[in-house]
Amino acid sequence: MLKRQEWLDLARKLDWTYSYVQERDVFPEAMSGRPWLEHEHWKNWDEPYRTTFAEYVTGQHEKEGAIAAVRDAVGKVADFGRHDRAWLSALKLHGATLPLAEFAAVVGNLRAARFGRDSAWRTTAAFGALDELRHTQIPLTVLHELVAWDPQFDWTHRFFHTNEWVAVAARHFVDELLLGSNPIEFAIATNFVFETGFTNLQFVGLSAVARDVGDRMFEKMVQSIQTDEARHAQIGGPVLRKLVEHDKAYAQYLVDKWFWRAWLFFAVVTGFAMDYLTPLKERKQSFREFVDEWIVEQFERMIHEYGLERPWYWDEFVKSTRYYHHLLYASAYTYRATVWFDVVLPSPEERAWLAEKYPESWPELAPVWQRITERWQASGPDVEWFTHGVTPVGFCSLCQLVLCGGTPGKNSARVVERDGRRLVFCSEPCVWIYEREPERYSAHRTIVERILAGEAPANLIELVRDYFGLTEATWGKDARRGRYPFTAVASGGNAE
Amino acid sequence: MKPDELLPLYGFVQGDTLGLLVLVRTTDTIAQLSASLQEAAQMRVSPSAEFVVHHRDRRLEPTSTVVAAGLTALDRVELIREPGA
Repeated sequence: MLKRQEWLDLARKLDWTYSYVQERDVFPEAMSGRPWLEHEHWKNWDEPYRTTFAEYVTGQHEKEGAIAAVRDAVGKVADFGRHDRAWLSALKLHGATLPLAEFAAVVGNLRAARFGRDSAWRTTAAFGALDELRHTQIPLTVLHELVAWDPQFDWTHRFFHTNEWVAVAARHFVDELLLGSNPIEFAIATNFVFETGFTNLQFVGLSAVARDVGDRMFEKMVQSIQTDEARHAQIGGPVLRKLVEHDKAYAQYLVDKWFWRAWLFFAVVTGFAMDYLTPLKERKQSFREFVDEWIVEQFERMIHEYGLERPWYWDEFVKSTRYYHHLLYASAYTYRATVWFDVVLPSPEERAWLAEKYPESWPELAPVWQRITERWQASGPDVEWFTHGVTPVGFCSLCQLVLCGGTPGKNSARVVERDGRRLVFCSEPCVWIYEREPERYSAHRTIVERILAGEAPANLIELVRDYFGLTEATWGKDARRGRYPFTAVASGGNAE
Repeated sequence: MKPDELLPLYGFVQGDTLGLLVLVRTTDTIAQLSASLQEAAQMRVSPSAEFVVHHRDRRLEPTSTVVAAGLTALDRVELIREPGA
């Protein structure tokens, strides 16, 4: 009987010379990506895991068993009911933005499983597709039981099927990243930048936070997913190395583009959770500290190892780690009925913590929270509308997120004329990404453009109900309904 | 541009956290535009008489109308605090 090492490459790395069809027809550039190179250039492609199908099935079976055991032990409604409401919002945010994005990643991986340029790459991508299917199913299964208890959890599945503004932005990102990219761009964008560069924010940072919060179910779920991600993320490095060898400028472009797009995504889903939705006593590190350690240092070192430079907007990125998620969270707080999770008003103790962690930016942000606090004090509890905006807001023509770039002192949004159309961008990197491939983005219309075209209502209540698909039971509210010790000073006061 | 047409503008109030979309009439004064923007942002930023409207690094006169100030659809305007304004 053959030993594993003797038969392994016959199973996972088996390429041959085509006799009745051209290689370019089997792997057309439009599907496989550029630069188009003959297989000779890819034949040494490899990754370190070298998993067999039998090993894969056995390993995944064990992981599923472990998840099921934790779910049986601590995954019931009563277990979730013990968590702070703010932490439940972190779960709702992650629960909605990730599972169906993972499902889109199934498609991206399957495209690579067919059109990736080496058979070992295709084999690993096939496992990747199975991984992502699992990452779709786990959160859908775990959180499904909570729907009857709290209808906001219904957005775990519903989110990507709506026109809610975060969903529009998430779809714009996910569609391009996972559904529209050829295997080469997918390998750089998803496997290298997103999975290798950024997901430690989830799998190390949030996993640790979940453990401290006492949410063993979430901790186990992300840890289990991480073991899959660590394997299929290995596709990225060898593809990037080949790309740098043959078209370094294109490699740099893809890294620069996807680093910015991934950063904006994680600033929302992880930035909110770490700095606002985790109870203060459980916070060990700020989002910025985590980004500095796990992204700024590690990613910079990693891209240098591949012979690339850090993205041209690096200084703007570093500055945005001090500001962006804070501006977005304060904006979301005062437009909370437009999202599917509740938000909290930071307490004086939390603001002191944030001031210590963000000495450069918090002095500009503190007056905003002071103003909101004073409005709650004036209105008393339960008067949500008094601290809620009613005017429509602007959305970036590239990332589709709210115009929260720059600082409170100087918002970085820029209006650009293009083909007789006025576009607005939240930041210079978003302008740059759009201008590099306008044909890829120009057909998409922001929510503001849809309102101005009469496709979406301008009235906020109608927009939230009829276009975003939220209801009074599901739209976001203040998690404590304004009942904080520090807003009680003038409780019973009258709204202006 | 028709007289008294509604005009959408992107407005940014200094000290605020996001850009807003305000609808003004072309016959509105810049002072009215400033008031609309401040009202839209008031849950985050305290209104102030010190706010001055800027457009492309140009300070707009409060008594001028939106059309006379040369504003067009989806222009970016800023409210900047100028002590003593």
